[in-house]
Amino acid sequence: MIDTIEKEDPVITEEEAAQYDRQIRLWGLDAQTRLRGSRVLLAGLGGLGAEVAKNLILAGVKSLTLLDHEKVSEETCRAQFLVPVTAQGKNRAEASLERAQNLNPMVEVHADPGRVEDKPDDFFLDFDTVCLTGCSRDLMVRVDQICSQRKIKVFCGDVYGYYGYMFCNLGKEHSYVEEKPKIVKPTKDSNDGPEAKKSKVDPNETTLVKKTSSFCTLKEALEVDWTSEKAKAGLKRTPVDYFLLHVLLKFRTDKGRDPDPQSFTGDSQLLRQIRDDVLETLAVSSDLLNDDFISYCFSEMSPVCAVMGGVLGQEVVKALSQRDAPHRNFFFFDGRKGNGHG
Amino acid sequence: MVQLVGSLRRELADSLATCKVLVVGAGGIGCELLKNLVLTGFKNIEVIDLDTIDVSNLNRQFLFQKKHVGKSKAQVAKESALQFCPSANIVAYHDSVMNADYNVEFFRKFILVMNALDNRAARNHVNRMCLAADIPLIESGTAGYLGQVTVIKKGMTECYECQPKPTQKTFPGCTIRNTPSEPIHCIVWAKFLFNQLFGEEDADKDVSPDTADPEAAWKPEETAARAKASEKDGDIKRVSTKQWASSIEYDPIKIFNKLFKDDIMYLLIMDKLWKKRKAPTPLNWQELEKRACPQEEIPVSGLKDQQVLSVWGNCQLFKHSVETLRSQLKGKEAGAQLVWDKDDPPAMDFVTSAANLRMHVFSMNTKSRFDVKSMAGNIIPAIATTNAIIAGLIVLEGLKILSGEIESCRTIFLNKCPNLRKKLLVPCILDPPSADCYVCASQPEVTVKLNVHKTMVLSLQDRILKERFGMVAPDVQIEDGKGTILISSEEGETETNNSKFLSDFGIRNGSRLQVDDFLQDYTLLVNVLHTEELERDVEFEVVGEAPDKAPPPQSSQKDDNNITNGSKDSAQPSTSSKAPADDSDDLMIVDSDEEEPVSSSSATTASGTKRKHPDAETGEMSTKRPADREEERRRRRQ
Ligand SMILES: [Zn+2]
Repeated sequence: MIDTIEKEDPVITEEEAAQYDRQIRLWGLDAQTRLRGSRVLLAGLGGLGAEVAKNLILAGVKSLTLLDHEKVSEETCRAQFLVPVTAQGKNRAEASLERAQNLNPMVEVHADPGRVEDKPDDFFLDFDTVCLTGCSRDLMVRVDQICSQRKIKVFCGDVYGYYGYMFCNLGKEHSYVEEKPKIVKPTKDSNDGPEAKKSKVDPNETTLVKKTSSFCTLKEALEVDWTSEKAKAGLKRTPVDYFLLHVLLKFRTDKGRDPDPQSFTGDSQLLRQIRDDVLETLAVSSDLLNDDFISYCFSEMSPVCAVMGGVLGQEVVKALSQRDAPHRNFFFFDGRKGNGHG
Repeated sequence: MVQLVGSLRRELADSLATCKVLVVGAGGIGCELLKNLVLTGFKNIEVIDLDTIDVSNLNRQFLFQKKHVGKSKAQVAKESALQFCPSANIVAYHDSVMNADYNVEFFRKFILVMNALDNRAARNHVNRMCLAADIPLIESGTAGYLGQVTVIKKGMTECYECQPKPTQKTFPGCTIRNTPSEPIHCIVWAKFLFNQLFGEEDADKDVSPDTADPEAAWKPEETAARAKASEKDGDIKRVSTKQWASSIEYDPIKIFNKLFKDDIMYLLIMDKLWKKRKAPTPLNWQELEKRACPQEEIPVSGLKDQQVLSVWGNCQLFKHSVETLRSQLKGKEAGAQLVWDKDDPPAMDFVTSAANLRMHVFSMNTKSRFDVKSMAGNIIPAIATTNAIIAGLIVLEGLKILSGEIESCRTIFLNKCPNLRKKLLVPCILDPPSADCYVCASQPEVTVKLNVHKTMVLSLQDRILKERFGMVAPDVQIEDGKGTILISSEEGETETNNSKFLSDFGIRNGSRLQVDDFLQDYTLLVNVLHTEELERDVEFEVVGEAPDKAPPPQSSQKDDNNITNGSKDSAQPSTSSKAPADDSDDLMIVDSDEEEPVSSSSATTASGTKRKHPDAETGEMSTKRPADREEERRRRRQ
């Protein structure tokens, strides 16, 4: 079902219409109205988190909660433009609040210095969409399961140096509308101009078509059995970035942090080791992923955060406004190739 | 031993801290780009933008806030970006990049130039400046969900002007004046009308019935009827529209009846036009006033701009806007003019009402002020995320250039949806320069078809050399053995030539003109091909390119929105943003999903380019682009 816009929903004000004019002309008033009724939780305020926060606040959601228990440090805030340079040692969510709010006073922005791990299941019910960055694999899988049972849309994403990825689960049945050229039917007393005498596709007129789409959970997407015949057949069409993601998530799980430029030599060694282990465990060829990635996956790189934050932010906007086909379900970006695919 | 500063090799990080880069434009892409540059470690950045901040920028130009509306974009962007890295050295210019101060020497200061522009004239100019200075240029553009980044390096890649771009669309005069068949024709007419009444009168932008319409093809025996009609409506063969309007003191009702009653009745006399078309229906103010229901004037709730007014509602809006514009004109000195601006409420009200009344006369569905504004203002929808993605890609290409790996640079397209290979971002290899490019070839040369007896020197300068060939201040010398100077960029030297015809200077079929633009360090040889057979409304044609004219309305394509009058000229995707229509009107389609169901194997349904082509990159690039890519490329290149 396309959620109906409730009668009591306040209509877009003239002030909002002026500020959001250029995007209303793209996705329409209904999409904007849905956005401004949506509550979003964003966990993880690193470089990618800041980009996503910016994009959602500018788009005009109802509220955005910034959740992060970590402290501001040079390395974790290299690409983080919401944190003032004077905020070293402060909580990342709280330090981001002022600049985030200044982006758009019409959005309610909150900061929560808690840990995602500590939040009870009910906590997530207050949101329409949950977006996780910088979280461990187990945590993402847990939150994804909680949310998909409760029809909350889930997005996960991270940036590792030149690489970025995104995953989304919009549930078993996500409904949306898509714009199609309108077929102008011939009528006896035509209202479409004196020359519109036969049926034609008028490229200036469009109509909205309803569609639905179905998603799997993160657990399912990560736990593919690569020994099955079906998976083997699909292996050729699977980007290596998918396996790289497994390696990087494993590193995060094992070390409780991401590869750190300060310990480049040790972390490089460990990445190589984890790569070998992961490919073996998944029972795929060990030469699927060569050493090349290792020195390019350190720290969050600002332009890669910008690209990933843009893609992820737009997917959240699409999901909340129920407008346009969602990207299913992984998106990988390689900043060295400029390649962005699912 | 590899050493990293953040994600970057130390050598690269060090070079970022010392090199100097130029950002041209501090709008949607520019704001994002400045942020990315300072966060990546660039320390010396100069930014130039002519514009000031508007409230409609705030949904994406995130370095600006409401309190900054009206201020210089370059200056505010600099101040906001400095907060991300106070040690950066940013220089802001609130100026046009086409100003002569920014000469080749200025461009040579930079290791890299990044365009974040929104118009073709400035893009052409920066392209030439970077070619002249031999500095790599990263060019970019966005429109709605779509975007593109490319790299331009003299002698190595295509330049911005290697591929001819579609010229701005214009509609045939008789379509606008006599036989509009689409709302856009009425909107163009209304904008012409604004200038005829309040602005600068342009003979090419007349709004009255066009008696020379070839389709009307009056026979001699019909001339009597025509004369009689002219008599009946003495205003048709009148003094200029403006003088007439002024003589009746801009009486809105008289203007209304002339435009929507008398002129339409005159069109009806040209009966050949209506043999295959539905004839227009004249409107009469007095009759409409009698029939007007009082309820119609009760304001409806919701956004004002979204309402589609009744005929009488448009009449009221027309009257009110004419009165407001009249008093604006009166407030100015004699002979002053108003300039149409979509953001000026009475000017926009005038165009909305006049266009809608004409649409009604010609049996079209009328439009909301919001929709008329999109088309009249040629508004390109814009969102933060597209600009963020494109600005990220610009920096990534920039890093390749600074690492000495320019050969690994790519043109990257951002699609709205993933393509068949599931790619949302599509990198393509850079093409080599086009040998016959009239800009970057070693001896640029073009052939222009025109009528030497009808083309004036001023028209050569403004329409051909400046508008079409993107020059700022051309000097023209005739290769006649005497070196006759036809146009000099020095003030006062050749102005007397302006209103003379080319033939007056001995220019004929086969003549060659040497054209120089000193600022752009650019010389173009123009071969003149004389012809008497140009189509109506066409001043000239560049040989090897399509004529400078829109297709006839019947076959018009979706970019008809991209009309001649817009201030910006980027690709214009559909701007229609209709609310969901009644369910009964909708095509109800349940997703007939042809892809593999999203199940546990979801990750396996991804891109297959790797194995189909042994080397994804060269595989994809070396094969010539498929037709749709080529089309896409043309569309976005603008
Ligand atoms: Zn060229």
